[in-house]
Amino acid sequence: MEMNVTDTADGLTHVVLDGRFDIAGARAVDARFQELAQTAQSVIVDLAKVPFIASLGVRTLMVSAKALIRRGADMAVCGADENVSKVLRSTGFNEVAGLYPDFSSAAAVLRERRADFENRKA
Amino acid sequence: MSGLASQTRSRDFPGTVAAALDAEAWLAKESRALGLGADAEFAINLCLEELFLNAVQHGRANRASISICTEPDGVRVEFVDDGAPYDPTVAPVRRIESSTEDFKIGGYGTGLLKKFSRRMTYQRDDGHNRLVLEFEANAGR
Repeated sequence: MEMNVTDTADGLTHVVLDGRFDIAGARAVDARFQELAQTAQSVIVDLAKVPFIASLGVRTLMVSAKALIRRGADMAVCGADENVSKVLRSTGFNEVAGLYPDFSSAAAVLRERRADFENRKA
Repeated sequence: MSGLASQTRSRDFPGTVAAALDAEAWLAKESRALGLGADAEFAINLCLEELFLNAVQHGRANRASISICTEPDGVRVEFVDDGAPYDPTVAPVRRIESSTEDFKIGGYGTGLLKKFSRRMTYQRDDGHNRLVLEFEANAGR
């Protein structure tokens, strides 16, 4: 599986995955997700080009989301097709990282959440 | 599965994570040969990855075998392993129920098996776990 990471000017990290998120796919991206979980602030994982996900793929997302949330950072998922969404919803992962139809809608929510957080700090 | 002829494909695998990768490749090939729909293949692949990894990593299975049988009303998959007893039909289902940082990382497989299969039947048979899963023609939709 391929993983392309782009940082936007306003601090969002757009992670585009391309390929099957199976055993081999999870192995291919685990290390980079762990790295992101320690450094990024607002991560949007784009699954529009992921036709399959299984337990190890879900595990990779969960480990990363948990580390991000513990640091006060955020994760959202976008673009998942019907079957991939069904897997994520079955585990309840959507409770900790919202599922959005596309990058723009996920970005809007994370930007708003980040602004609320900054306002509360100030 | 409506419109599909009755056919069976079977294969034995060693109990290793590497073999789980081989099993996924084998399943993809056989799914095409059997004419399974994309949703049925998704559901079967998801369940077999879960069962295979569980048998190898938790059950310490040395061998596993998979049979896929297309029938007029669906797809029947049998997964047999020689690992520790594990009956997913009675295992608890875990799900994250609220927005929290305190969620568990593993243990969601049983819920996925139940969600993506139509029915599961388990038998402990002569030191083997024998699980039969049934899938809809368009499982996963």
